[in-house]
Amino acid sequence: MKREMVLNVNGEEHDVEITPDRLLLEALREDVGLTGTKEGCSIGVCGACSVIVDGRLVSACLTLAVTCEGKKIETIEGLARDGELHPLQRSFVQYGGFQCGICTPGQIMAAKALLDHNPTPSADQVKEWMSANLCRCTGYYKILESVMAVVEGKVDEERRDEAVRQARIQSLYQSDTYKSGASD
Amino acid sequence: MSKAEKFAVLGQNVDRFEGHDKVTGSAAYVADVFLPGMLTGRILRSPLPHARIRNIDTSRAEKLRGVKAVVTAEDTIKQGWGVFFPDQYPLSVGKARYVGEEVAAVAAIDRDTAEEALELIEVDWEELPAVFDAEEAMQDGAPLVHEEKDSNIALTIDVERGDIDAAFRDSDLVIEDTFESVPQWHSAIETIGSVADYSANGKYTVYMNTQTLFMARMRLATALGVREADVRVIQTAVGGGFGGKSCDDNNAMVAAILARKARRPVKIINTREEEFLAGSRPRVNMKVWVRMGFKSDGRIRAKHMRVIADNGAYSGKAPAITGVAALRHDTCYKYSDVRSEAYLVYTNKIPTGAFRGFGNPSAEFSVEQMMDIAADELNMDPFEMARLNAAEPGYVSPHGNRVISCELKQCIDRTERMIGWKEKRADRKPNRGLGMGCTVHVSGKRHFGDYDGSSATIKMNEDGKAFILSGEGETGQGHWTAMCQIAAEELGVPFSDVAISEADTDLTTFCLGNYASRLTYVAGNAVKNAATNVKEILHETAAEMLEADPGDLVSRDGYIFVKGAEQRAISVADVVRGRQFRRGGAPVVASGSFDADSVSQDALRYGNESGAYNFGAQAAEVEVDPDTGRVTVIQYAVASDCGTVIYPIGAEGQVEGSIAQGLGYALIEGIRMEEGRPINPNFSDYRLASMRDMPDLVHEFADSYEPTGPFGAKGLGELGMDPVAAIISNAIYDAVGVRIKTLPITAEKVLRALQEKKKNGS
Ligand code: FES
Ligand code: FES
Repeated sequence: MKREMVLNVNGEEHDVEITPDRLLLEALREDVGLTGTKEGCSIGVCGACSVIVDGRLVSACLTLAVTCEGKKIETIEGLARDGELHPLQRSFVQYGGFQCGICTPGQIMAAKALLDHNPTPSADQVKEWMSANLCRCTGYYKILESVMAVVEGKVDEERRDEAVRQARIQSLYQSDTYKSGASD
Repeated sequence: MSKAEKFAVLGQNVDRFEGHDKVTGSAAYVADVFLPGMLTGRILRSPLPHARIRNIDTSRAEKLRGVKAVVTAEDTIKQGWGVFFPDQYPLSVGKARYVGEEVAAVAAIDRDTAEEALELIEVDWEELPAVFDAEEAMQDGAPLVHEEKDSNIALTIDVERGDIDAAFRDSDLVIEDTFESVPQWHSAIETIGSVADYSANGKYTVYMNTQTLFMARMRLATALGVREADVRVIQTAVGGGFGGKSCDDNNAMVAAILARKARRPVKIINTREEEFLAGSRPRVNMKVWVRMGFKSDGRIRAKHMRVIADNGAYSGKAPAITGVAALRHDTCYKYSDVRSEAYLVYTNKIPTGAFRGFGNPSAEFSVEQMMDIAADELNMDPFEMARLNAAEPGYVSPHGNRVISCELKQCIDRTERMIGWKEKRADRKPNRGLGMGCTVHVSGKRHFGDYDGSSATIKMNEDGKAFILSGEGETGQGHWTAMCQIAAEELGVPFSDVAISEADTDLTTFCLGNYASRLTYVAGNAVKNAATNVKEILHETAAEMLEADPGDLVSRDGYIFVKGAEQRAISVADVVRGRQFRRGGAPVVASGSFDADSVSQDALRYGNESGAYNFGAQAAEVEVDPDTGRVTVIQYAVASDCGTVIYPIGAEGQVEGSIAQGLGYALIEGIRMEEGRPINPNFSDYRLASMRDMPDLVHEFADSYEPTGPFGAKGLGELGMDPVAAIISNAIYDAVGVRIKTLPITAEKVLRALQEKKKNGS
């Protein structure tokens, strides 16, 4: 019953061997090994499993994997490039658009699908569109703020604290503070 | 008093500690744990609310190809467990007491096989009479949920302080009424799950999405009949807790029992339906009768309250929750004479349990409406009346709760201004109304043994970065970040130079976990104390290296300086290396503990239950459609007194999230039950609010400082949730003159009340 097929996920081809009733959600998480897409309700109402297939936002819990053969599937794992967060991801961090984070991949993919089609939605349009993605933690205020910050270009460049810190540590080790401290 | 400007790290919106993991999909939740050879576990649940098990035949299931283990109570030690009463078993012993109870379980190579095997298990049931309503269950002759007990009443509370009869006689206004809440499901977007492994040397390792790590271990050890050290619990990323993941359910027990029998790791993730049937324990629903006496100037004179709480089939934390509903609110206003009666009653339904607010939302749904009714009767402004009665610093409640910091009046003032109370009242619009209410909560509660503490260890890396080991795992509220900020502030290092461990019983010291809004206050104090101890070690070594007196040293931004001679400085990294890499070298590591200055309540439930109390005031403006009964919340205002705000985004998030859950509780959430069976246990019938449903929300934090808190902080997580339903009901009354006393306040109920009102011509 299983058949071999190719799933194109985030620009990479994955060979999988699946039955025709395999859900895209299961195929992504268990066959491809990308667990960033989450399951919340299993009946298409919570949006936790939102992914983009050929530019369209779909619920992976309602989509059969076989129907995605030959299509371009985008998941949360494909957003950051070379360790550089996508503006939506940066914005969710900066504006606190999540708490537990379980709905977050779905929220971000939903927002991406919207902004891909309409980079300048109004807050009301964002609210309407994002209302298919449930969140039990945030009350949605900071999710809306995070999405609108991208629309309005209010997202900071990724914080470089880590790089600054590394440089500081390097300079510390090369400094003679330690030596002078020890030998004085 | 605001001290924020003096802090280097506190009060800053740093990037959340685990933020990048969560926005990139790399955070590992329990469903994302895959171990070699792992099996899928599925549970056979009772289809009946109350039934004796005559026999279970698992032989056909065992023979199915791909099935690796089938278990029933015969595979367990039949040891009951439960935090207050050990009345629950991992798998039904003799009988099942609610629809959804775990009867048997299967571990198989995949889900389809496991589900097929469940269908092959034959249970010979003898159906018993069942009882679904708490008041009916209290009657003589009602079917007994636990036949070894002589009644269904699990717990009775009856305390009187002062002289209640005299106080009512002395009142100018006496009113009474009855209010009823509903069970509310946590509905975390992630269901409960676990992955259990059992090693040949007899040790269990359980990955689970718990919010109370060591309590999970304690209960696993009890139910499995092993020592605590034989169980290692590792807390994965947790997709929302709200009390629902505080381990009163059987998921992990069953996984562990299967893993031992199969000798392979077993994963059990609840389906959404299972989550409603037998997963997170929904909020204890209560019927609250309350009678209050007031002086004509608006002062509260007396309160008598009678709570009937629906326990469901097993106790869990419901006894403590019932106690909170009966007594906690008396810390919010100045009371002298009160009587509280409460009855916790077994029924043949899903056990109820801890949910954000812990009994307080049911109590406040009644008392905060009574305050509104009284203000109306006395022709007083509800804000005036709240100010008149509000608790103040130094207040001791009739039950012994000692209030240190308290900015309730400030919160009342702020809320009045934010909602535009005076302006809107002066310019009333048809079908629009305003309502307000106040709330109190604890910062930790002493009810599990005579301990309400926490501990943490901090070890310094050779590069100067501090690493906190703590068993107080993150479930979304952001306390990891707050704890890192507290450590950074105390150690005098940048936020980016602090990290925190995952919660793991083998690696961290004992911690109670996430409940009772305790983390910032209790765990924060423990982290701060650990940091103080680490700083002392650092300063001792730095003093040697700088040839200075340790008392003259200060830490700031990753350096240690000689006070007054700041060119004499050394980096924390150099000090750590200096101490380690020398003859007789040693690591820089220290622990810290904190136990709140609270006491265990005595047999009469007297005693200061928490180290600090948090307060708040809230108000709503609603519009009611007179033709449909539909209620729209136009604006919601919240002022919270949580002491110093450590991590502003996290704190705001707690307020926003709790208001959203409170509005859901007030207006839409609930499930239809028939004969103890939830009809349609799923997210299309149990509706959660979505983004477009949220009202305009304004909130502020009071200027406040709690002297016993870490840098002045206290709890916040539950406070916002508690009074919302009452406030919405008060606003509806103000808008259209009907008062709804049962939850949820659906359009249908409002419409019916409006029609009734019209008929009576009032
Ligand atoms: S899991 Fe797919 S929409 Fe909820
Ligand atoms: S952040 Fe927890 S469900 Fe959205």
